[in-house]
Amino acid sequence: MNPELFSPILAAALSRGGQYADIYAEDTTVTSIELQDGRVSQAQQAVLYGAGIRVIHDGQTGYAYTMDLSPEALLRAARFAGSISGSTSVGSQQPATPPDTFCWPARETDKTRLPHDLHPPLAQISAVPSHRVRQLLLRLDEEARQSDPRIIRVKAALTQRIQRIQFANSQGEAYTDQRPRTALVVRIVMEQGGQTQMGMATSMMQMGAEFVTHERIQNVMSEAISRAAFLFDAVQPQGGEMPVVMAAGGSGILLHEAIGHAFEADFIRQGTSIFTGQLGRQICSPEITIVDDGTQPGDAGMLRWDDEGVPGQRTTLVREGRLESFLYDRISAEHFHVKPTGNGRRESFRYVPQPRMRSTYMLAGQATEEDIIRSVRRGIYAQVFTNGQVQIGAGDFTFYMKQGYLIEDGHLTRPIRDVNIIGNGPQALRDISMVADNLLIDHSASMCGKGGQSVPVSQGLPTVLINKLIVG
Amino acid sequence: MKTEIADRALEMALRCGCQDVKVVLMQNQETTIQIQNGRTERMQQATATSLAFNLFIEGRDGFFYTNKLDEQELAPFIRQAVETTRLLEPDDSRTLADASRYYRGGGPDLQNFDPEMNCIDPAEKRALAERNNARLAGRDKRIISTETQYRDRQHEAYYLISNGFRGSEQSSYCMLSTIVTVEGQDGQHPMDGWGNTRIFYHDLPEEGVAEVALERTLRKIGQRPICSGSYTMILESPVAGSLLQPLLNAMGGQALQQRTSFLADSLGRQVASPQLSLVDDPLIPGTRGASLFDYDGVATRRRQLFERGRLCTYFIDTPCSRKLGIPPTTQGIHHLIMEPGEHTLEGLMQQAGRAIMVTDLNGGNCDPATGRFSYGIEGFLIEGGKIVQPVSGMNITGDMLTLWQSLVAVGNDADPWETELIPSLTFSNVSFSGI
Repeated sequence: MNPELFSPILAAALSRGGQYADIYAEDTTVTSIELQDGRVSQAQQAVLYGAGIRVIHDGQTGYAYTMDLSPEALLRAARFAGSISGSTSVGSQQPATPPDTFCWPARETDKTRLPHDLHPPLAQISAVPSHRVRQLLLRLDEEARQSDPRIIRVKAALTQRIQRIQFANSQGEAYTDQRPRTALVVRIVMEQGGQTQMGMATSMMQMGAEFVTHERIQNVMSEAISRAAFLFDAVQPQGGEMPVVMAAGGSGILLHEAIGHAFEADFIRQGTSIFTGQLGRQICSPEITIVDDGTQPGDAGMLRWDDEGVPGQRTTLVREGRLESFLYDRISAEHFHVKPTGNGRRESFRYVPQPRMRSTYMLAGQATEEDIIRSVRRGIYAQVFTNGQVQIGAGDFTFYMKQGYLIEDGHLTRPIRDVNIIGNGPQALRDISMVADNLLIDHSASMCGKGGQSVPVSQGLPTVLINKLIVG
Repeated sequence: MKTEIADRALEMALRCGCQDVKVVLMQNQETTIQIQNGRTERMQQATATSLAFNLFIEGRDGFFYTNKLDEQELAPFIRQAVETTRLLEPDDSRTLADASRYYRGGGPDLQNFDPEMNCIDPAEKRALAERNNARLAGRDKRIISTETQYRDRQHEAYYLISNGFRGSEQSSYCMLSTIVTVEGQDGQHPMDGWGNTRIFYHDLPEEGVAEVALERTLRKIGQRPICSGSYTMILESPVAGSLLQPLLNAMGGQALQQRTSFLADSLGRQVASPQLSLVDDPLIPGTRGASLFDYDGVATRRRQLFERGRLCTYFIDTPCSRKLGIPPTTQGIHHLIMEPGEHTLEGLMQQAGRAIMVTDLNGGNCDPATGRFSYGIEGFLIEGGKIVQPVSGMNITGDMLTLWQSLVAVGNDADPWETELIPSLTFSNVSFSGI
């Protein structure tokens, strides 16, 4: 988008008295190359291009997007977005004046003003050429099939995405950014004694060509193979209420579902979250500190700026058991008279920003994993997960465990599979009684859905013991 | 919709060396209005036009999508797409559908597009949502939040396939829904909602949304898990489709070819209860999902999926047909209808006596290869045909084939305005995990 249009478009957006306006323009390319049945025979490429214009007036949002970036189309979108303010009563704040000039903290020539340098220099972001992807996938197929004769199907896809963003708002702030994201998905089907089992493993990072290393590909492939093989001997356990030991890493889904969504400040502003009114209170053991972090280089949830121009940062949600902060976007921060925490995220220009998680994890504790397992007489050790969900108001969360073990008399015994685990967020947090010293951030391809939008996130956890959850 | 761009794109791709090309030009116009506690939270409007291609070059097939439709942008995009496709390995299965299967016209007017929808002033749509939200103002002191959403969408698509298909389709829907959150017990905030969907704006009823949403939310106060055990399960119509989906997934050609379907080698066999009869009928005028042809241009027809529990078909597209060596059918479903039974939901509750009625699923999953599943649920304990206790925090566990073999009754309460008409269902001996 031509930056010279920022000022007149924002002026049109604010022409009916809006208090804040922003423009978010995007040019994204996604390329996916897939191996199936021993051939690299499928490719997909998508270009997504357009701009969204938002006007905020007393917490109300007018929004329009267009895929036509001509001045006329942008002005039409701006006027629709601005209509949110034209039809409301006089607001509590003064209308904004569109800026004539913009501060460009992210101009490629002016890196010294970046809040932190998370990505490689913009010009150096590159993708792996398609012919190289083809070679890598064929090698993966060959190595997988050689590693276990039970493998009957190998499917693998490498997806590379580069998102180029321009942002400007009525406060005179502007940035440009490029966000590379690469993901590898491997799916293995095995047959043994007439039974078929499928294992899947993924990896996703905000990286360009540097994502593709032989070690990473090997790790993802080996994980998919071991997950498929595991399932032949695994059973669905007897359900009921029992202690659950969450293994380090992907178990961070517990934080994401049990508290993360309920900490998103739009739900607090509406009063619907079960954590409404809990700010500053002790909500769990002083051994527990939980953060939501947008500053980890390469992480799927890393943000140099969020999608409404707030610098990326690390937010402590729970410090030593006390609820310290929610996850704020501009609207909810304005409502609560606090600073936004850089959690305003959107799937693309087609959507308004919402408070969303980035990389959510619990800091390491003092116990060891062995101590924790030894302390459980009968329960389960939950290791690999596929999906989760939460009912914001009730606080009931679930996550689906694909792989784990029974714990009997302090030892891991039978392999178990395919159980949904349910708990209540605040209660589950209170029921965490042991935290190990082995924090691990999981870099699987995790996409978080909310309000019809999907954004990449990551999560992490040291091994923890939850005294009781309902196991499916 | 200006379709010339699709014609030019097809010509460009053929000139770049493609043997065959499929081009689909799509245009969507959408409006969303959200009212929160009497105030407008969000108004959103957009028009999106985009172009999707399948390029076929010497046994290779690539899929491409762009919304940069300026010819100066499109030409290099297509050249790049052709280069990417050439890098692939040939795969004989990846071809266009046989031209003899294409829709050739003469179908009925499907009456599933409202040309006026986008002409209606957004202020009128906003007023509709505001009136609906206002119906709950002051209705109950326990209300924390009411959120009403009006949403509509007009969809148009133009298909052009180089081996002899040209067609266009249109569809629309509008929806008015309300979600209510109330103060519950022990700090919980129960939440539920209700909505109406129609094809034509002027058919959208205002009544029966906000009040039903409030009633459904209030009855959830006091939810808790109850004892684990084997219960009769009544699955309420709005969520019944969620437990049917794994069966439909297992009928897909990709799942069969990749050996990840628990319905492999089951064609013609009795795999479910005789209570299960299911058809896909895309040709009923005035229904959502109605369509004269599928994404491949192949003419649609009424198709029996299950007949008294017997599996009648798989979803086989052209590549899967070639790989599996079986005739093609269709890509997937359009407008699904489960043959209704005699009872209303209340009738099913009376018939069951003691049961758990599931009104919502909370997470969970199903293993596609084995059909083993575990889903979180919420709903109500039913005794003597009446609701006696709201239930949440429980799971149902089992395998899909056993579940569908235990279907004992089908209701008659499917919403005719949905794309999947699945009534409330009763299953016997379902394993529930609770306290």
